[in-house]
This record gives sequence, C-alpha cells and structure tokens, in this order.
Amino acid sequence: MTANVPRPPFFPYFCGMNFSSKLIENAVESFAALPGIGRRTALRLVLHLVNQDADKTKDLTESLQKMRSGIRACEVCHNLSDERVCSVCADMRRDRGTICVVENIRDVMAIEETQQYRGLYHVLGGVINPIEGIGPDKLNAQTLMQRAAKDEVKEIIMAISPTIEGDTTIFYLTKNLKDFDVRVSTIARGVSFGGELEYADELTLGRSIVARVPYRAGE
Amino acid sequence: MHLKTLTLTNFKNYDLQTLAFSERLNCLTGRNGMGKTNVLDAIYYLCMCKSHFGINDRLVMQRGADFFRLEGDFVREEKKEKIVAKVIPRKRKEIERNGVVYKRLIDHIGLLPVVMAAPDDTVIAREGSEERRRFLDNTLSQSDPIYLRHLVAYNRLLSQRNALLKQFHAERRFDENLLQIFDEQMQEPAAFIVKARQQFLENFEPILKENYAAISEDQEGIACVYNSKLLTENFADLLHDAREKDRVLQRTTIGIHKDDLAFKIDAHALKVFASQGQLKSFILALKLAQYEFLRQHKGIAPLLLLDDIFDKLDRGRVRSLINLILEKNYGQTFITDTDENRLQDILSAAGSDFKIFSVDEGTVDG
Repeated sequence: MTANVPRPPFFPYFCGMNFSSKLIENAVESFAALPGIGRRTALRLVLHLVNQDADKTKDLTESLQKMRSGIRACEVCHNLSDERVCSVCADMRRDRGTICVVENIRDVMAIEETQQYRGLYHVLGGVINPIEGIGPDKLNAQTLMQRAAKDEVKEIIMAISPTIEGDTTIFYLTKNLKDFDVRVSTIARGVSFGGELEYADELTLGRSIVARVPYRAGE
Repeated sequence: MHLKTLTLTNFKNYDLQTLAFSERLNCLTGRNGMGKTNVLDAIYYLCMCKSHFGINDRLVMQRGADFFRLEGDFVREEKKEKIVAKVIPRKRKEIERNGVVYKRLIDHIGLLPVVMAAPDDTVIAREGSEERRRFLDNTLSQSDPIYLRHLVAYNRLLSQRNALLKQFHAERRFDENLLQIFDEQMQEPAAFIVKARQQFLENFEPILKENYAAISEDQEGIACVYNSKLLTENFADLLHDAREKDRVLQRTTIGIHKDDLAFKIDAHALKVFASQGQLKSFILALKLAQYEFLRQHKGIAPLLLLDDIFDKLDRGRVRSLINLILEKNYGQTFITDTDENRLQDILSAAGSDFKIFSVDEGTVDG
C-alpha cells in the first residue's frame, strides 16, 4: 500500500454538503457543533426530526430550554441542581459527617452509580494546574473550608484523579484542612479488581505492596 | 535479543520496505542521503517510541503522506515480540506490543534496550549540560522503569512550578504557601533521581574507563564525575533559599534539572583539553559503556546501532573497531557506512555471520 492511492470520492462530497434548504442547513450546523457529533450524524438527526410530528421537536426544544434556564449549581456542594440546594445535600437520610471531594459533576454521578457511598459531596470544579492558569482561587476550595469548620463534619474523602495535578490539589487542600478537626483520607490506589498483577505497572504495584491491607476471611 | 524483520511504511524517505536482518551484524551501505541512517532511526523508534534525533513525528513521516507505520518482529528471551508504531497527525501516537496498544508510551521504554552512536554525539561533551542529562536519563530510563516515572513526575511539577512563577509575576502577587506545595511534591522524585544518578555513576565510571582503554591507543586516564547541588545540600532548603531569585527570574533555578556530568582527561576538562581524535574515542567509549551497563543491568544484550562511526577513520582503525565489536560479543549490531568494499573485505576476513544491505534512494537490496 502506498500513499498514492486516490481517496474514495465521498469525502469531498460530504465536506461541502449541499442543502436545498437553509433551515435544514442551520439545524445541521447546530447539531454538528455538539461534541461527538459529525455532520453526517447531524443530518441524520435533523431528517429524523423532520419525518416526525412537529410536537416531538417542540418537546425536545422545550425540555432543553427548561433545563438550561433552570439548572444551577447547588449552593452547598456545587453539584448540578434544580433547586438552591441539590437533592443529595437535601437528603436528611445521608451521612452528614462525611464529605467526598471530587473534581467535577461526572465524578459525583460515577460514585453515586456504585451505590457504595452515603455521605455528601463537594465539587471542586477542577484541579490546581498553573499551566492552564487554574489556581486554588478558581476552584471551590474556600467553601470546602467553610463546610469543614462545622462540627458535624468528621471525615473528608479526597476522590481526585491520581495524577500529578490531582496530587497537588490533595496536598493543598489537606494542608489547609489541618487546623480543622476532621480526618482526611484518599481513595485507595492499587491493582484493579479483575486485573492481573503481571500487567500492573511497577509504580502502582509498588504502592499497593506498601499500602497493603489486612485480609479478613469470612466477612 | 534481536530484530528479525522490519517494515517501514511512509517513514522518512521509505514508501514501503521490508528488511530481514542477520542476528549478528548488519551493514547498511550506500551514498550520502540515501536513507541508511533512517533504517537505524526506525529501529530506535520501535525501542524508544521516538526518533533518536529529537525531531517531530510530522517530520519523520514521508513528505505528502498522511501517516507512517513501523513494524518490527523482535525475539526477546526466546519469545516473539511484535512491536508496531502507528502515527497519524493530530491523533494519539499508538505503540502496540503483540497486538495490544500501550496505554502509556513510557510502559514500553526498557523492554527492548537500545544504544545508538551517531556522528553528532560529540555534543554530549561539547555542548551544555542538557545533552549530558539527556544521556543520563536515556540510560537510566531504559534500565529502571521507576526512574522514568519519577523523571516524568518531576518534569511535570517543574513546568507547573514555572508556570506558577510566571503567573505570580503577571498578576503582581506572590503566594508562598502555594509554591511550597510544589516544593514539597518535588522532594520525592528529586531524591529518587539523585540517588539513582549517583549509584549509576559508581557503576558506570569503571566500565567507561575500561572501554576507553580498549579503543584509545593513548594511555590517558579519564574520569566522569556527577555534579549536583542536591548531593550535599537539602533540596527543600535549596528551594527555600532560591525563592527570591526564582520569583525575579520567573523560573526554578535549582533542582535536578541543573545537574551535570564532568568529563575529564588526565585531570583536565575534556571539552577544553581533548583533541578531535580523543573526543571521538571518548564518545564512542561512552556509548559502548552505556551498552555494557544496560546489558549488565537488564541481563539481555541491547541492540547496537552504529551510525557512520567509521567516518574519517583509516582502514586499520576500522578493522580494529569491527574486531572489537565481534570479539566483545555484542548482541545484534547495525552499522552504516558509505564504503561497501571496505566493510565487505574486513568482514569476510573476520569470518563472522553478517549481512550487507545496499541502500539507494529509499530502497534497500540485501
């Protein structure tokens, strides 16, 4: 195979898609501006809407508009919320002594999905990354300190990505939390379940050995 | 360890080329600019995930092409290892081992140890300290995967710390507590790297002396000394003391990224004192010592890539160099040379297993 093979003809054809309707073209442009949607998929979605009842499109746009104008950040934990305080923070059955610190809203969803955690959350909105111009002042760090000052808070769990920037952030928060009467912990790092030791990288395996846990049979 | 076959697609001046190598000695001959070195660089790429010449992947790709691909069938400790490198601009570079794509390229470094000697290696002795650190890091990254992890971490923290210093300058403020976080985080990787470099030099210097003595007919004594402020002083204190300087200059002025190696010949600085010939012998000794060190530490013979090292050497010295390579039982070796007849004569006389390839305008016969 060489580089001189002519390209299949559909590529330039689709790049300069020719529409008979300006309305269709605008709709395609709007869909294609979304992440993960190319122009072909955008066209498919638009034609699908055209072939359906006009009500369906109205429902879609209305729900999107309502979502966008109604959604806000929870005043307590900065998670997405319909109200001033999100449903997690408002749920009195949850353990109010534990706060799990995460980078973003998707992490909240991932942890909720596990159904293993019954405490509260705190969404930082990123990690400290000076190269990207993100310092602690750009994160929701101050509100975490305010929450930690409350008596009811006993433990703060750092569920932040195990990257250099994540470590910097944990380091920074932990330092600032040391005057409060709270226990700070991080999620365990180690060999993944279902993984084979042979394929674990040396650093992870080394840390897993150092931070080994007692084995309790029959529990 | 050896490379059985290599396939290059759109790599530098090669359209598509497959080469089958001798397990012992491979010579690539041809005129200048025909693509001899490119074959060595392709082999280096499959071992180190990048070009030896520090050039961008886009420039490694053949002009006008929209991807390049390298495929190598290696045999390592009697097991087949198929390594494939696929590079498409604007996409993530992919390195595959036996059909599985590496999640991180650094996991591949050290699997297939390699040493390359090229004519521009004299920069290691002549230029600034960066070249010598590159030599150190190249050797240690291949011999110890944890070294590379710490090095990547340190460099990342260093970039973040420098970005922070620039940010402080632009915003006309200075947050010592935040800077302190980076200082503390840098301690662990820096300590590991200093210790690793120090230990390396202890093992490496005797090997270097031995190799220099074997190559050079002169009887000069050579030395190789590791210089780091972190050897004698506490890194945290050094960073603390340099804080004002760092603030003004907007970069980190102390750390393992300032370490250096001092090469000496008869107790004088090599850079100033050595003749051209001595410099050349020294650099070749350095590379052969790197080879020996990696072989001892990994327990497998690395690939040896010798690019145009016979340049400006007379026939007698070329013969003794080739005999040295054959005698000392290096593993699979690749040599480029512009003079086919010279190599043919010497190798036929030596009676070893070898293969000669003739390279012409991006095609290889052999």
